[in-house]
Amino acid sequence: MARSLYQAEYLLRETLLGLRRGGWMNWAAISTVAVLLLLFGIGLQGSWQLGEFFNRYGNQLEISAYLDTGVAAKDLQPTIQKLPNVTTVTPITKEEAWAALAKELGSTDLKATTTQLSGNPLVDEIRVQANSPTAVVGLAEALKKVRGVETVQYVGEVVKQVTELNHNLRFISFGVIGFLTLSAIAVITTTLRLVIAARSQEIEVMRLVGATRMTIYLPFLLQGITFGLAGAAIAWIFIQSLLITLSRVASQQANLFQGLLIDSGKGWILPLVLLSFGGTIGLIGSLFAVQTIGRR
Amino acid sequence: MHPDQKTIKPRVIRLDNVSKTYRNGTAALRDLTMDIFAGDFYLLTGTSGSGKSTLLKLLYGEDLPSSGDIWVNDYHLNTVKGNKLAELRRTLGIVFQDYKLLPRRTVSENIAFVLWAQGYSRAEIDRRLPPALKMVGLQHKATSFPEELSGGEQQRVSIARAIVATPPILLADEPTGNLDPDNSRQILNILKQLNKIGVTILMSTHDEALIRTSDLPILQLSNGQLKLINR
Ligand SMILES: Nc1ncnc2c1ncn2[C@@H]1O[C@H](COP(=O)(O)OP(=O)(O)OP(=O)(O)O)[C@@H](O)[C@H]1O
Ligand SMILES: [Mg+2]
Repeated sequence: MARSLYQAEYLLRETLLGLRRGGWMNWAAISTVAVLLLLFGIGLQGSWQLGEFFNRYGNQLEISAYLDTGVAAKDLQPTIQKLPNVTTVTPITKEEAWAALAKELGSTDLKATTTQLSGNPLVDEIRVQANSPTAVVGLAEALKKVRGVETVQYVGEVVKQVTELNHNLRFISFGVIGFLTLSAIAVITTTLRLVIAARSQEIEVMRLVGATRMTIYLPFLLQGITFGLAGAAIAWIFIQSLLITLSRVASQQANLFQGLLIDSGKGWILPLVLLSFGGTIGLIGSLFAVQTIGRR
Repeated sequence: MHPDQKTIKPRVIRLDNVSKTYRNGTAALRDLTMDIFAGDFYLLTGTSGSGKSTLLKLLYGEDLPSSGDIWVNDYHLNTVKGNKLAELRRTLGIVFQDYKLLPRRTVSENIAFVLWAQGYSRAEIDRRLPPALKMVGLQHKATSFPEELSGGEQQRVSIARAIVATPPILLADEPTGNLDPDNSRQILNILKQLNKIGVTILMSTHDEALIRTSDLPILQLSNGQLKLINR
């Protein structure tokens, strides 16, 4: 126990020594990892949030039909009720909508605002509930064809488009992340090779006095892993501040945008994923690097 | 040592028809056959370039023989490598002709390193370091770096490093090459004490005075051949 503790202390000291001697080269390696993990982390966090967004809104069965000016919701209700796959139909008059909007905007004097705008600018709306998620698109098409309906909106459609975009982006980001991963490994390997070359004389002496391969290798492996972990920490700090900034901006923006920034509920997983990804890259890079230490 | 005593002592080094020809064609050693037994102490002599360092390098595995076989402590040097080679080297104390100290490490760290590499506990390292430094008269230089030392001081650090772990076999390549007669005698006395407690020693030297005043058996290298001179 005391012995392994001492070995740990020795390794730590050697690793720190290597880092101190590495100087600016350390930063080359760390920042490459940081850039990679920043992009990777943003992508991951983004796809988690989209997933959560989809879960929350994607399966919504509600469709809003906005009517032509002058058409009353009450009049269209029976027609719409007869459409296939409809469960409930809720008419909302433009007066109700106007009052709700005004309340949302914080206006208390409804009449004053109305006269200011020379009348209520809204139209009547009918909220239709479909009986299954798969019926939503067909029902929306059917609603569009109903005379008196001007536009049809449902969250599912937006979500579908965003998901499709996400799908295409994922393809590209896999390529980019893969490329950056290889670059980061290459940079770490090169950095450590330079460190090893600068210490080759020392390594030779260590071998001559009987140091085992592990005693010689481990400080370099730890140094590589440190690069990876440091890069991950930096990336995580950036992502975290980005999220905070975005949610601050979003709190002043429209609802849908806010919906995209909902807490994915995976707050603690991201740093773990980043640290293990970074650590693995560092380990791989340093394993390549120690191959250059002589064979016999 | 009496020849008849040797037969009951374990053989620790064995050379069998060993030749070493460097890539550039220099034939440094030719057909050496030799046994060294536990507790032996030999002076390895010969003119500059006669192959003393070459022979020692073969014994600690820095280089391979061109032909013939070498065993040290039952390790077959021709084939041993990796962690096995490291294991063998940890049973050897080596004083290199060019010292081979770790730059940018203090005298203490240089000496302690061998103990670290062998997995000694911190308490054990702290216990062994001061006497090793004292033995070579460098207590006051413990925190100096090699480049801050004279040639002779560096040489003494490398001697302290070689003996700090009390290895069963000591290979010393001109350990007194850079020392004045007083210091040389002192080092030789240290080695003799180690030999008394059973350490097998092979020490190369071209110090005529030291060879004359000591009564140690001599292995003389010339033309790549070994000649034993018992006294
Ligand atoms: N790496 C090498 N490549 C080629 N030739 C070498 C090499 N090392 C040594 N030699 C040659 O081998 C011969 C023996 O060298 P070695 O270093 O063993 O001599 P030495 O007896 O230790 O000499 P010194 O007393 O000067 O230290 C010399 O002729 C030398 O030039
Ligand atoms: Mg020599």
